[in-house]
Amino acid sequence: MDTTTALETAQSLLQPWAQTVTQPEPHRSDFVVAPADLLAAVQALMDARWGYLGAITGVDLPAPAPAEGQPPAESHLAALYQFFNGAAVATLRVTVTHAQPVLPSICDIIPSATIYERELIEMFGFDIENTPVTDHLLLPDDWPQNVYPLRKSFTGFGGAESA
Amino acid sequence: METKLPSTWEKALDSIRTWARVNSPWVIHFNSGSCNGCDIEILATLTPRYDLERFGVKLQGSPRHADVLICTGPVTRNARDRLVRIYNQMPDPKFVVVVGSCGLSGGVFHGSYNVMGGVDEVIPVDAYVPGCPPRPEAIIHGVVALLDSLKKKP
Amino acid sequence: MTNQSQPQKFIVPIGPQHPALKEPGHFEFGVDGEIVTSATIRLGFVHRGIEKATEDRTWVQNLYLLERICGICSNIHGTVYAIGVEKLAGVEIPPRAKYIRTIVAELERVHSHLLWLGVAAHEGGFDTLFMYSWRDRETVMDLLEGLSGNRVNYSTNLIGGVKFDINEKQADEIRRGLDFLEERTHYYMKVVTTDETFLGRTRDIGTMTREQAELLGAVGPTARASGVPRDVRSESPYLAYNEHPIQLQVHDGGDLLARFIVRLNELFDTYRLIRELLDHMPAGDLTVRVPRRIPEGEVLIRGEAPRGELVYYLKSSGSDKPDRIKVRTPSLCNWGTISHVAVGHKLADMPMLLVGIDPCFSCNDRLVTVNNTQNSQDLTWDALRRYGIEYYK
Ligand code: SF4
Repeated sequence: MDTTTALETAQSLLQPWAQTVTQPEPHRSDFVVAPADLLAAVQALMDARWGYLGAITGVDLPAPAPAEGQPPAESHLAALYQFFNGAAVATLRVTVTHAQPVLPSICDIIPSATIYERELIEMFGFDIENTPVTDHLLLPDDWPQNVYPLRKSFTGFGGAESA
Repeated sequence: METKLPSTWEKALDSIRTWARVNSPWVIHFNSGSCNGCDIEILATLTPRYDLERFGVKLQGSPRHADVLICTGPVTRNARDRLVRIYNQMPDPKFVVVVGSCGLSGGVFHGSYNVMGGVDEVIPVDAYVPGCPPRPEAIIHGVVALLDSLKKKP
Repeated sequence: MTNQSQPQKFIVPIGPQHPALKEPGHFEFGVDGEIVTSATIRLGFVHRGIEKATEDRTWVQNLYLLERICGICSNIHGTVYAIGVEKLAGVEIPPRAKYIRTIVAELERVHSHLLWLGVAAHEGGFDTLFMYSWRDRETVMDLLEGLSGNRVNYSTNLIGGVKFDINEKQADEIRRGLDFLEERTHYYMKVVTTDETFLGRTRDIGTMTREQAELLGAVGPTARASGVPRDVRSESPYLAYNEHPIQLQVHDGGDLLARFIVRLNELFDTYRLIRELLDHMPAGDLTVRVPRRIPEGEVLIRGEAPRGELVYYLKSSGSDKPDRIKVRTPSLCNWGTISHVAVGHKLADMPMLLVGIDPCFSCNDRLVTVNNTQNSQDLTWDALRRYGIEYYK
């Protein structure tokens, strides 16, 4: 399957769930999916054996500082589920708010996703429902609660002095 | 058991201990967060081209048998306790050699949230081998320099 | 060993050994007598917070930081990152630079595979093979040092090109080095496939079917040894792999032996490829200019590290620093496979099995055994290794 057909297949597979579809690079399609549709979308790709899950990338999207007199806008977290099929890349882009960062776990469909989900939880503070393991993957056990290093608001305590 | 040996005996025993230690130091290696660059160079010092063992140095796994601790990498938060534990498990007298810029100061990772800094933030260090990573020759030089300094000690 | 009659739990901190960002792992093996019944993973002993640190450094500084994610595959990190930044900036590097990047990447593969062969042999108690392969590995280390001036973190890349050229004299040296290594690799192949004691430790051990490998998302030689034709260099060729394709090495065995064979076969192909690249190097510049501020955008870059697929996701907000960099290292995927493959195997096979996926830990870390009654007992990695060797005597 060459790259263009692969992407076309992905588009038709994800048709029912994709809110918008963009193609930022010739070999890469981005599909914006609602959190509620995530499982169905992943299932559709896997049922069709469309590639494999390459990574789940979290991105913090803090709201810009509000203009004078405006109420502060809401900050968001995005999770990008990146699937690879040959040279083709399909990204499912799911966005949630800081206030309610809830996503379903895809581990039932793709067991190896557990590592990425644990990373999302501890690095960004996602709340992933039904994920099999929620232990820390990378951070030390005595890491303070509700501190998420990859959020933009975190400006690191480095060095021994903060120990 | 408080049998006091005559001081000449003590001295003689001490010099035998030093002689043994200098001629056959046992080494344990611990990686507290390094990129592995330093570690593969330490391993390389054991292989035929460099052959650290000709100085009597033996690398082995248990801290309880070790005289020298070779540390690599910056100290991460997760590894700190383990590093301290290993250091405490080693019998006295013990010596620490740090290999690589990271272990010296934190190196490129300095200031990162999970990095405490260099090894000497956590345990006392006797010899530093700079480089990123140091060549095997440099590591050997560091260890040998440490041994030489022991010889001179009264 | 602890009391064998009860089920026990082994906690295996095989970390802080692997470098790549976060791999040094720590496994908890549930054991029933001799047989492993479950395995879970805990990483982070060398978690240095690199992804966060990148947001605080300029695009150029990050090159040197990311190269130090892993000391064994340092070059590919730098290369994939540089390709990504160049893509964001919309520049194309000169062809000669592409070739040099490819050659160094392949030399790195040679050094890494030989290193792996040695470490894997060591875990099985075949120390002679360990010493042999590390002695021979010095040949490629010399070549890399001759090119770049450093043995480990070569810093080949600049954003927009490469730092050094390869002249005819150096090319000849590389050819000569490869001739020697090729001969040695034939020898290793013979040892690995014919030595009965060696086969006893590798044949039918840690078998992973193609189905499993695909489902668990194995990458690199680990996947290829289970018959999954997955290699970024051929799937989505970058650098000079378009003009000079690789020959994909796959094996259907799925066991440890297959992993040895795939890696050794890959070495042969790499030798061929480097020679071909040296013979066809285009003339020209080594660098182009890249602006300090990188235009806004997102890219996803993949490259084939010695251990498998390496993924970089870069997001720029148009400043001189990145907005987000995500690194997905190959060993992370392969760690995941262990927890499934380990189940049902003997504890004595664990060292070889773990090393089979090449998580690049060297062998000197410690294991802790904890049994159900919470009496913990120390078992060093060394002790487990020896236990494994004794077991098979
Ligand atoms: S000093 Fe350099 S080679 Fe050594 S651990 Fe640090 S980054 Fe790696």
